[in-house]
Amino acid sequence: MGSKEVVIVVSVIAFVLLLSLAITVGGLGYVLPLPNVREVASWYLKTTYNPFMKLFSAMAPEGVTAIVWDYRGLDTLFETAVFFLAIIGSVAIMRGISLKGVKYDPEKHGMSLIMKTVTRIVVVMIIAVAGSIALHGHLTPGGGFQGGAAAAVAPLLVLVVFSKYFMDKIGVSKNAMLVIRSVGLIGIGLTAFAVVLVALLSHGQAYVFQNQPKPYAPLGFPYKAGTSLLGGSLLFFNACEMFAVAAGFTIVFLLLALPEREVIKVLRGEKFEH
Amino acid sequence: MNPELVVFGVMALLGIISMVATIIAILERDLVKAVIFSAIQSTAYAFMYYLLMAPDIDLVYIPVAVGLYPAVILFLIKKTERFEGGEESGK
Amino acid sequence: MRSLSTELLSTYLFNVFVISIIVNIAVSLYGIFARPSLIKKIIAVTILGDSVNTLAIIVGYRMWPNPHQPVIPPILTKWHPTPQDIQNFAYLAVDPLPQALVLTAIVIGLAVTLYLVFLTLQIYRFYKTTDVRKIARLKG
Repeated sequence: MGSKEVVIVVSVIAFVLLLSLAITVGGLGYVLPLPNVREVASWYLKTTYNPFMKLFSAMAPEGVTAIVWDYRGLDTLFETAVFFLAIIGSVAIMRGISLKGVKYDPEKHGMSLIMKTVTRIVVVMIIAVAGSIALHGHLTPGGGFQGGAAAAVAPLLVLVVFSKYFMDKIGVSKNAMLVIRSVGLIGIGLTAFAVVLVALLSHGQAYVFQNQPKPYAPLGFPYKAGTSLLGGSLLFFNACEMFAVAAGFTIVFLLLALPEREVIKVLRGEKFEH
Repeated sequence: MNPELVVFGVMALLGIISMVATIIAILERDLVKAVIFSAIQSTAYAFMYYLLMAPDIDLVYIPVAVGLYPAVILFLIKKTERFEGGEESGK
Repeated sequence: MRSLSTELLSTYLFNVFVISIIVNIAVSLYGIFARPSLIKKIIAVTILGDSVNTLAIIVGYRMWPNPHQPVIPPILTKWHPTPQDIQNFAYLAVDPLPQALVLTAIVIGLAVTLYLVFLTLQIYRFYKTTDVRKIARLKG
């Protein structure tokens, strides 16, 4: 780090400290942070778990997960669609390339024995913690994306410490992960339309993405099983989303881990496989 | 020393640490060092999300920005060039 | 409740925090425009996205009612609440709506960045360089 960079860093720190002093003492007319939340937020906080107002409440104690899958469920639907389009784009760029004919050899491929043994223990723990984060998403901080992103670290670790040939040997391939992702997305679609289908069969009215009974739509998911809280449709959404997100990330890592000489062979037209 | 001053003081310190890490990451010519400083900035942000009482965002941000982004960009650096401006060495 | 000096000091520290996030946005914007390597541009795009998301979450924070009672995350911890419990919760919790929107924004930013990484790999395979000045000089 040369002296030019030290001068830049010190001058920017001094600029920030003096500018905030000027704003505080000079006075901008209001005080940060603000003393009250807005009306919309106050309504969400009062109805996220309210057994006295069952017609307006989402019956899930976790505020953020209830907003993501119940109050604003359509936003999450389109965000899942954008993520899926990005994965399809990446698969389309790397089409026609695969590694066949190289068998996994424990002595030549991968890192040392200590790393492999430790990774075997750690990978199981990572997947267990990620499953717990995803399934408790309606009670504690967590949910589908959180569990899926945490569970996507495990295939990355296995790819780096063992090698891609090991992943081919145990059957984790791009097509298998695409199947798992599609199954997760079908699960999300079915849960979104479940109340509508049941209401159509019994001549009632229902909304898409409906979670609890609402005015003029008396059907909904149960929010309690015995004494434990189920969170309605949030439990199914979280579980399906975890599989979809983890499988999507695994596809990207499998495509990134292809060695360059195989890719160059395909680009020069010597080999092409589906 | 009331708890409010302690919490806000730690927030201000983390803001300055993240600013220093960002400036060094942008000005650095060796791309591996830039990725490491970007991961330091992400760690400061992850602690900030805990102090701002947003645990859901924290649980997404830690695997994504400290684990997945540096890993993917390191894959990319290994397959392309390591130094900015070609293979002439930096400083 | 609060004396003038502690209120000024806590406001000053919070302002330092907010302005450092704004400086992060400015520095990462400079990094996108001024550095010629495609990989440095990708790193700067991720820093820009994270800083803007942090600014959105700061908007949802609220002031402490008195200096010894911190605000709480928007998660109800009592499963058999009385109406007084729900009123206390709405008086102390931070805003949950910016957190839900930032969750969506993080996942979308991640998806776009992963696609950009694949595009950069393809550019390197065809043109053997990731320097935008050299790519701009190629003809055909």
